[in-house]
Amino acid sequence: MADSNAPPIIETRDLTIRFGGHVAVDNVNFSLQPFTLKSIIGPNGAGKTTFFNMLTGQYKPSQGSVLFKGRDITGLSPAQRTKLGMGRSFQLTNIFPELTVLENVRVAVQSREGFGFNFWRNFRHFSHTEDEAYATLQEVFLDGKWRATSAELTHGEKRKLEIAILLALKPEILFLDEPTAGMSQEEVPAILEMLGKIKDVRDRTLLLVEHKMDMIMSLSDTIMVLQEGRLIADGEPEEIYKSEAVQEAYLGGGTVRD
Amino acid sequence: MVEQTPVQVFRSQEKMGRFTSPAFYLKIAILAAFIITPFLFPSFKSLDLVLKIMIFAVLVASFDILLGYTGILSFGHVMFFGIGAYSVALLLGKFGEPTYAFLFLGFVIAILVTTALALLISFLSLRVKAIFFAMVTLAIAEFAIILATKLSSFTGGEDGIIMSTPGIFKVSFNMGSFMGVDITGRVITYYFILVICLILFMLMARFIQSPLGRVMQAIRDNEPRAEALGYKTFVFKATSICFGCLVSTIVGGLYVMWVGYANPESVLGVPIMLDVLLMVIIGGMGTLYGALAGAAFLRLAYTFLPDLQSLAQDLLPNLHFVHTMMERWLLIFGILFILVVFFFPKGIIGTIQNYLKTRKAV
Repeated sequence: MADSNAPPIIETRDLTIRFGGHVAVDNVNFSLQPFTLKSIIGPNGAGKTTFFNMLTGQYKPSQGSVLFKGRDITGLSPAQRTKLGMGRSFQLTNIFPELTVLENVRVAVQSREGFGFNFWRNFRHFSHTEDEAYATLQEVFLDGKWRATSAELTHGEKRKLEIAILLALKPEILFLDEPTAGMSQEEVPAILEMLGKIKDVRDRTLLLVEHKMDMIMSLSDTIMVLQEGRLIADGEPEEIYKSEAVQEAYLGGGTVRD
Repeated sequence: MVEQTPVQVFRSQEKMGRFTSPAFYLKIAILAAFIITPFLFPSFKSLDLVLKIMIFAVLVASFDILLGYTGILSFGHVMFFGIGAYSVALLLGKFGEPTYAFLFLGFVIAILVTTALALLISFLSLRVKAIFFAMVTLAIAEFAIILATKLSSFTGGEDGIIMSTPGIFKVSFNMGSFMGVDITGRVITYYFILVICLILFMLMARFIQSPLGRVMQAIRDNEPRAEALGYKTFVFKATSICFGCLVSTIVGGLYVMWVGYANPESVLGVPIMLDVLLMVIIGGMGTLYGALAGAAFLRLAYTFLPDLQSLAQDLLPNLHFVHTMMERWLLIFGILFILVVFFFPKGIIGTIQNYLKTRKAV
C-alpha cells in the first residue's frame, strides 16, 4: 500500500450534478491516494459514469469542485486535463483501426514527445518511439500482435490496445470506464491480470468504474460504492464486502449483474 | 548485448533490405524505363504518352495525400493544377518573348496563389463535415472554371493561352545528336519535367513517412482519437491540404511547359478531376505508388483503346459487330474499369500489397 498520508492525487468536494430535476450525483466527497487502485461500483444508474465524466471533464458539475494534486480543475476541458496527466478510456473502444498495433501506440508516444509537426525527417529516425511503444505493448500483453492491423484484433485485444495507448501518454492517473465491458468470459482474466500488473508497478494511480463486483474485489486497494448518486461506502474491499448498506444496495435496491 | 526485441530485429532487417528488396528493383526499373524512352521511342506520341503518365502520376499522388492519407475529399484539386498551368502560361504567353525569368516567376506566382487559396479554403471549410467540404471545394472549382472562361481578355476565355517555352526548352532548340537521337528542346523539356516530377514524388514519399505524415494517417483513421491524444488535427489537415495543392500546382506548371497551351478544358475541367479520381481508385487509395499504376492504366487506355477500331478492321474485316463495338471504345474502357475494381477492390497496388502482407503472415 502506498503511504496513506500522502496528499491525494485527485479529490472532489461536494460534487453534484443535476439533469433537469434529477440529481445524478449528489454531494460526493472522495479522495484518492497516489499509486493505488480504486474501483467505483454500484447498481445500474447509480451515477458511476456520470461521476467519472465530471472527473475527466466531459461534464461540468452543477456544484462542487474537482481537485487534481490540490489544484482546482473544475473549469478545465478534457484536453487540458489530458495534458495535466489524466488519461481516460471509454466504454466504446477508441483506436486507429487501419494502423498497425505498434503504430497506434507509437503515435501516442510521439504526441507526448511533441515532435508531431515534423514533416521532413523519416519517422524511423525516431526509432526510440517504436521501442517505447513496443515496451508499452509488453505491459499489456499485446506484444505478440505488434505487426497486426488493429482492426483485426479481438474485442478484448482492442481494449488492451486502448489501454496501451493511454499508458503511452504516461498519465499520472488512469481512468478506466468498465475495462471489461462487452468482453467474453475468456477474455476477462487477461484484462484483470494486466490491470494487476500495472497496479503492482505502483507508479500510477488507477480509478475504475465496474459493474461486476466479484472481479474487482481482489484487485482494488479501495472501493467506493455509489447508489442513486450518493456515496454510501468507501473503504477496503473487506469492509465493503461486509457492509450492510452495500448488501442492501445490491440486493435490495438495484440489480446485481452476473 | 541486450537481446533485441522483434521490433528492433524487424527494423534492422528492413534497413538492410532497403536496396535489395524486389520493390526497390521495380522502382529502379520503372525509373530506367522513363529515362530511356526518348532513345527507344523518340516519336512525339510516345514521349507525350510516357511523360503524361508521369505528370498525372504526381498529380494523382498529391491527391492521394489528401484522400488516401488524410481522409479529405477535395473536388478542387485540379483547380490548383489549373492555377499552376495558367500562371506559367500567362507569364510566358502574354509578355512577349518568353524568358527563364518569366518561367520561374510563373511558378513562384502559382505557389503563392495556391498557398493563399489552400489556406483560405482550409480555414473556411475544414471545420465542416467531409461531404460538405467536398461540396465547397467543388463549388470553388466551378467558380474557377467560370472565371477562366469569362475573363477572356486576361485568360483567353475558352481558347485559353498558347505560349512557347524559353531557351533550351524551345521546341526548335537543337543541341545536336546523341546516340542517334536529336537532343531537341522537347527532349530537354522531357528530362526537366521528369526530374522535377521525381523530386516531387520523393518529397511526397518522405512526407507520408515523416512524423507529421504518420499523424495524418491517424487522423484519417479516427480524428477524435487523434485530437484526444493531444494533436491539433486542424493544423495537420490544413498542412496536408497546402502540401498536396502545392505539388498539384507545380505539376500544372510543368504540364503547360510540355503541351504549350492552357485552356479551361485541358487544365481546369471537371473531366480531369474525374480522371484523377479514377486513377486513384484504380491504383489504390493510400498507397502513393498506386498513383503511377492508375495514371499508366488510364493514359494507356485512352491512347490505345481508340486504336482498337482500326486493329479490328484489319484483323476481322467481315465482323461488323466487332467494328461497332470497337468504335465505342469507352464501352470497353468501362468494362475494363469494372474488371479492375472487381479483381482489385483496393486498387491495383493496394490489393497487391494486401496480398503480399497476408502471404507473409501465413
